[in-house]
Amino acid sequence: MSRVLPPMLRRLLAVLHPERSWMLGGAALAVLAALAAIGLMAVSGWFIAAMAVAGASAAAINYYTPAAAIRLCAILRSGGRYGERLVTHEATLRSLSRLRVWLFRRLIPLAPARLAALRSGELFARLRADVDALEHFYLAVLVPGAVALASVATAIVLCLIVLPAAGLAVLIGALLAGVLVPAWLQRRAAPDAATAVREGGALRGLLLDALRGHPELLAWGRVSAHGARIEQLARQLDARRARLEVLEATGGALVGLCAQLTLLAVLGIALGAAHRHTLSPPLLVMLALLALALFEVIGPLSEALARWSATLTSCARVFTLADTPAPFVEPEVSASVPLRPAVVFEDVSLRYDEAAPWALTQVNLTLAPGARVALVGASGAGKSSLVAALLKLYPLQHGRILFGGRPLESLHGDELRRHIAVIAQHSVLFNQSLLENLLLAAPQATAAQIERAVSLAQLDGFVASLPDGYDTQLGEAGALVSGGEARRIAIARALLQDAPVLVLDEPTEGLDAVTARDLYTALDAAANGRTLLLITHRLSGLARLVDEVVVMEAGAVQARKPVAQYLAEVGG
Amino acid sequence: MSFTGATEASPASRVEPTAGQWLRREARGIRGPLVRTGVLSALLALALVGQAWVLSGILAMGVLAHAGFTALGGLGLALLLLAVLRFALAVAARRSAFQGAQQLAQRLRARILQGTQALGPYGLRAEASGDLITRLVDGVEAILGYFARYLPQASAAVLVPALLLAFVFPADWLSGLILLVTAPLIPLFMVLVGRAAAQASERRYAQLTRLGAAFIDALGGLVTLRQLGAAERFAAHLEAQSEEYRVLSMQVLRVAFLSALVLEFFAMISIAVVAVLVGFRLLWGEMHLRAGLFVLLLAPEFYLPLRALGGLRHARMDALAAARQLAALDALAPGGAAPQPVGAPVNLTAAPKICLEAVTYQHRGRAAGLRECSLVIPAGRVTALVGATGCGKSTLLNLILGFARPGQGRVLIDGQDLATMDAAQWRECIAWVPQHTHVFEGTVRENLLLAEERADARALERAALESGLGAVLARLPQGWDTPLGERGLGLSGGQLQRLAIARALLRARARVWLLDEPTAHLDAEGARSLERMIRAAAPSRTVLLAVHRLSTARSADWVIVLREGWIVEQGAPDELERGEGYYARLLQAEHA
Repeated sequence: MSRVLPPMLRRLLAVLHPERSWMLGGAALAVLAALAAIGLMAVSGWFIAAMAVAGASAAAINYYTPAAAIRLCAILRSGGRYGERLVTHEATLRSLSRLRVWLFRRLIPLAPARLAALRSGELFARLRADVDALEHFYLAVLVPGAVALASVATAIVLCLIVLPAAGLAVLIGALLAGVLVPAWLQRRAAPDAATAVREGGALRGLLLDALRGHPELLAWGRVSAHGARIEQLARQLDARRARLEVLEATGGALVGLCAQLTLLAVLGIALGAAHRHTLSPPLLVMLALLALALFEVIGPLSEALARWSATLTSCARVFTLADTPAPFVEPEVSASVPLRPAVVFEDVSLRYDEAAPWALTQVNLTLAPGARVALVGASGAGKSSLVAALLKLYPLQHGRILFGGRPLESLHGDELRRHIAVIAQHSVLFNQSLLENLLLAAPQATAAQIERAVSLAQLDGFVASLPDGYDTQLGEAGALVSGGEARRIAIARALLQDAPVLVLDEPTEGLDAVTARDLYTALDAAANGRTLLLITHRLSGLARLVDEVVVMEAGAVQARKPVAQYLAEVGG
Repeated sequence: MSFTGATEASPASRVEPTAGQWLRREARGIRGPLVRTGVLSALLALALVGQAWVLSGILAMGVLAHAGFTALGGLGLALLLLAVLRFALAVAARRSAFQGAQQLAQRLRARILQGTQALGPYGLRAEASGDLITRLVDGVEAILGYFARYLPQASAAVLVPALLLAFVFPADWLSGLILLVTAPLIPLFMVLVGRAAAQASERRYAQLTRLGAAFIDALGGLVTLRQLGAAERFAAHLEAQSEEYRVLSMQVLRVAFLSALVLEFFAMISIAVVAVLVGFRLLWGEMHLRAGLFVLLLAPEFYLPLRALGGLRHARMDALAAARQLAALDALAPGGAAPQPVGAPVNLTAAPKICLEAVTYQHRGRAAGLRECSLVIPAGRVTALVGATGCGKSTLLNLILGFARPGQGRVLIDGQDLATMDAAQWRECIAWVPQHTHVFEGTVRENLLLAEERADARALERAALESGLGAVLARLPQGWDTPLGERGLGLSGGQLQRLAIARALLRARARVWLLDEPTAHLDAEGARSLERMIRAAAPSRTVLLAVHRLSTARSADWVIVLREGWIVEQGAPDELERGEGYYARLLQAEHA
């Protein structure tokens, strides 16, 4: 069965393989419930007609069996539907969890070097939609597909037994309504649909701009001009979507029309057969009602088909991403790192991809254990790239980096990063409690260690002000805390890591002078004995935290001098 | 009612009626299309009845009279015509429903825009988080789905069964009675079993959405997780979280699905009972086969609309959630945009002197913005506004921009009260660097041209060069045509700042420069060159800087120190530096 599926879908099913019994069970129950509903109508039709014939001819009839069958169908239908919903939901929730965790684990070694999606909002939104499509594959595509296939097959087998020609009519009708009409409509709608998605995104962007950028628009006198742009695009998009809606409605109504045409064909064939006495009259009614009921399950097929091709595209994208080779082959056994490691950059050159400009060009830099160095330079001079290279997040095009005397290739990335605590410009907080966020890097930290890190990061007042203290939830992407608080939480988190090397990327940006001074004092105490690398624009207070300054320019180290000399030169 | 409070803090049960009422009120605005859709679906039901009548006639003749293919003749044609009629009616009904919903969506979009305008420039930004604004915009889609799909189906669920019943009763009163008795039982049982279950499953649905968001969050934070060495642990956390969710949900769903079971059970048993009872009366000769078949054909159609409604419940939940946000916006900004009074024309030929006379401004529901501030910002000079975050610097700039009116006191431009001047014309004279720059969707060029649409290529190049944006552009592969905004390239703090400065510089004719934290995110060299540029431009302009970096303030001619809305000091920077005041203390802190 799985052989007829496209390879990408087979990959998806392979990931979901452990949940196959739930998935199959759910599909089986769905088929059972659908067949029971069709059976109910078909048997009822036959029963009524047979009773009428018996009544007219005053013949004896066994009405117990069909009456019992009717009741059985009714019970199977309602019970089966309940079971179906429970089992398919169980299967969906299980496969959803499996898929997400699988994908997450696959993407870990790829971030950030091979995950352009993390840097671009649009790519990230697409990844999100792709995962969504895969998650709905089972309920929206697989189950309706299985139900339609099984029902049509059963109906045709029944027809073949009773009246083969009617079977042919049903087959043609089902193919027409379930496959050909949807495929034709989809093709007709495709260009408009693609444009509508694009325009929808653009309109959403314009609306968000109008709300978020209102002050700017007002200051520039562009409010009504922007409003006119929205109006124009909205009108265009609305017209397009109205066309698409009519097309979709036509598709739905065409399925109904196919059902009626099939019914007419079956009627014609069956009436002739009944007339020639090759078909018992009650079976005529049964066939007619069977044909009508069958199209109830064919209706949802058109949406399943539409999703089918979308799922294939999503599948291809997600698996191509997941199959990207990791930028590093990590060593089986990681070399050991000395207690106080030195950091050495030798001729390091780095660029993020082939087309990108060089981010680092032949950087040579040595940081002795316990060295305290500030990295300064214009934005884009390569300061953050230097840190990314040190963290073994991007492969070098040239040169090497030694950490504690070991080349980075001999160190497992996770082991290396355990020794480097980073407070990045964009440290992300997660939708967990404050405590869980703090413990991310150091799950075994004791209460005393946490208290210390929190107080070093000037966070104790904030924690005391929280209603639930450490158990306060920080909200999606840390949305419930301010920027300054988020920064200090990230600092406390990094301090808890207790690593010999501390990297600070603009720790005081956006803080006022007094807070910044206090933070530097605290960092000075916290960095005691550790190697410290400070990336900053702010020159004030520099001398209290570092001994030397490394000036970077256009991806290269331009100068290295004692902090006092540097400050005197730039006149800060 | 505060915006955030209404949408996040309040329990669903209390807000629900409000959201429901809001939807009902909106529905009144598109009554025409709604009625038209209702009429079309009623006609559709009538066509269905006709079809059932013709079909039962054909079948009865075939069974009882062994009428052959020829019997199909006229009746078959009628069946075909009815099928075509149903096709046309079905398309027309969906189209009409969608048109109505689109009308409503258009009106909603306009109202959201109007609402923000009524709230003033900082209104919505201050009231709602960025996330809420997104939800507001996306909510329009949810409302569209509700009015295009759910509402027509809901009205069909009432209308169609009633219509069908009117035809079943004359054909067979007993079957009619069965349907009539079960019909109200279904909603009753669904309410009894379903009320609690529906709420529970709504909560589950919301939680599922949150879980999905958490997963996406985690993907977004993957680099941070790797830096912390916590990625693998977080994967385990995600796994445990969704397992826990699954177990809890299944407990709830077992009960929640009972309401669907009730509906299904009643529908199926009624059909079965109708079929069996009809069968026996046919056997006893108490009924005609055609009537029996007619009733049997209509029985499943009787329950169909109600069952279809169940599948659209998520559409309703999404719409209710969206309605809550939109209703809250309505509550915030009643009555649309305030009419903009036409003020006196502004005709500045030289840099103006700006005065504040005992200006007090109170932010809604928050600490004071400004308290009795009197100051003079002279023309041809650089004036710096200094103070900690939240001391009122940006508020003061906003008052000068005419974004808000002082609660008390006056803002004077060359002696003329700003309140009497034409705000739009006054803003024409201002180049402004906001504290939080918004990047619009579009290319770098388009982002700049927003500030000055008449600027030519030379002006663009010059602004880019002077602001330092040129260096940023040189590194972008698409240069001026690089798309920015939410769906484009994200800019770093320093790049963003340069973009904002370039935008301001494009307004070459501006006599007033209002720069809010212009040197934030800039390195020392960048900050110094910006200061030089400001100095060079100052003689022909009125320049006001709001800064927390004191080195920038030291290059100004005059410094005004704000603290919690009060002016605590003002003077020349070197004078203040030598003093013992707040400024000197701030300076010491920065240099210590």
